[in-house]
Amino acid sequence: MNSSRIGASFRDPGGFLFSRDGTLYRQVNQAYAANYTRLMESGLYAKLVETGRLVPHAEVDVRHEEAATAFLVLRPERVPFISYPYEWSFGQWKDAALATLSVQKRALKFGMSLKDASAYNIQFFHGKAALIDTLSFETYQEGEPWVAYRQFCQHFLAPLALMAYRDVRLSQLLRVHIDGVPLDLASALLPWRTRWNAGLYIHIHLHARAQKRYAGVAVTEARTGRRMSREAQLGVIENLQATVRKLEWKPAGTEWAAYYAETNYTDAAFEHKTQVVGAWLGKIAPRLVWDLGANNGIFSRLAAAAGAFVVSADVDPAAVEQNYQKSKSAKEQTLLPVLLDLTNPGPSLGWHNRERDSFLGRGPADAVLALALVHHLAISNNVPLQQVAEFFAGCGEWLVVEFVPKADSQVQKLLRSREDIFPDYTREGFEAAFRQVYEIEQAAQVQESERWLYLMRKK
Amino acid sequence: MFWLYLDPGSGSFLLQLLIAGLAAISLAIGTQWARIKRFFNRKKARPTDDEDDE
Repeated sequence: MNSSRIGASFRDPGGFLFSRDGTLYRQVNQAYAANYTRLMESGLYAKLVETGRLVPHAEVDVRHEEAATAFLVLRPERVPFISYPYEWSFGQWKDAALATLSVQKRALKFGMSLKDASAYNIQFFHGKAALIDTLSFETYQEGEPWVAYRQFCQHFLAPLALMAYRDVRLSQLLRVHIDGVPLDLASALLPWRTRWNAGLYIHIHLHARAQKRYAGVAVTEARTGRRMSREAQLGVIENLQATVRKLEWKPAGTEWAAYYAETNYTDAAFEHKTQVVGAWLGKIAPRLVWDLGANNGIFSRLAAAAGAFVVSADVDPAAVEQNYQKSKSAKEQTLLPVLLDLTNPGPSLGWHNRERDSFLGRGPADAVLALALVHHLAISNNVPLQQVAEFFAGCGEWLVVEFVPKADSQVQKLLRSREDIFPDYTREGFEAAFRQVYEIEQAAQVQESERWLYLMRKK
Repeated sequence: MFWLYLDPGSGSFLLQLLIAGLAAISLAIGTQWARIKRFFNRKKARPTDDEDDE
């Protein structure tokens, strides 16, 4: 029997996640027994699951992973793909923030409170931002402030404000600061005018100053008997909600925002491409698809229609945002837009390099879609074609890939500003390189174009 | 204190206590304002807000 603790799950004395024979379990420790019982018996669990804000679980009768501390074992419903905040678009992050606040408000009504507000505790489950950590709740203590306030500001408010007011690319600060953006850093990076925004002034600028002012001060003495009523805490939560809701980022002026309006191929070519890709996906019936270079997800939706859960990845924050807003308004449950730079995919991070998995570590997928992508990797990033093939093969067994030849105007654009050092970038060279790693099962030239589509299977 | 094992930092903790009065007042005003708005909008369907499950 193959059983091990999950690398990210070590901080909480209340319990931990473990994996046994491919199934994910959560051990609840004795230390958390009272809180767990309250969560289940107060009706809070049922309410949160009903509103889609908490991933449901079953209590199961399996051997405890660490018997000495165990209370019971849960089997949570599996999230199809774990994504991290630095892979979210602005809108996804904002919805994750609002989900956290909504859960906290609900918890207060049931006499409980979130003891942490980590962005890593939120995942997209059936298309909706939901809490995955069942052990985040503790009994609310009348008179006490929200213990996770600082973490909420660092994990949600600071990055969202920086993305909205400074630059959307600052979401990547979370790759370095695993416990969220330090508030003094956020305060220094935000434009001065954000001090006119009452919410940002209090929760970031003043908050950063308070942290400096009271660093090392013992709370019990400094509070001089002050208490925070439940109404006051609700007031803070509602103020955070209002502050988050007002933050906006519009994907204007970025490179891909208008991509589909500017493609260089005809309607008939697009139609044919859709038909071929759709037919191949129907034939291989993958359960998990990674659409790499998905733009705003047109072909991801073909894969979702074929029954797959699709990770729809793109490097452009505007495309990911469009994709997310589209999937949100259509209430799509099997498509997850993510922000991904294929030339530098997310590494494994945190304690022991095991808290956050690398992007590839969260695979493999059953099938990879790589449409209008290879020329970016091979020409813009100088990756030899065989290495491109090896990379895809590491992502999944099946591959639907498009070859766009040099004559194509999009490739010409890439070559305009660089020397053509790619003598092997031909259809023959492409096929030869990919045959080192794959069997070519099917090939089709896209009508009214020079582009070719291939269905390949790893050797 | 056990519930402080996730240390919010003294400053974060104390800031909340300092703004507590303000927060309670703003909640009260907000609640009253929502009641007034509801009174005038009672014939209109309330917009659903899927970001908040209230």
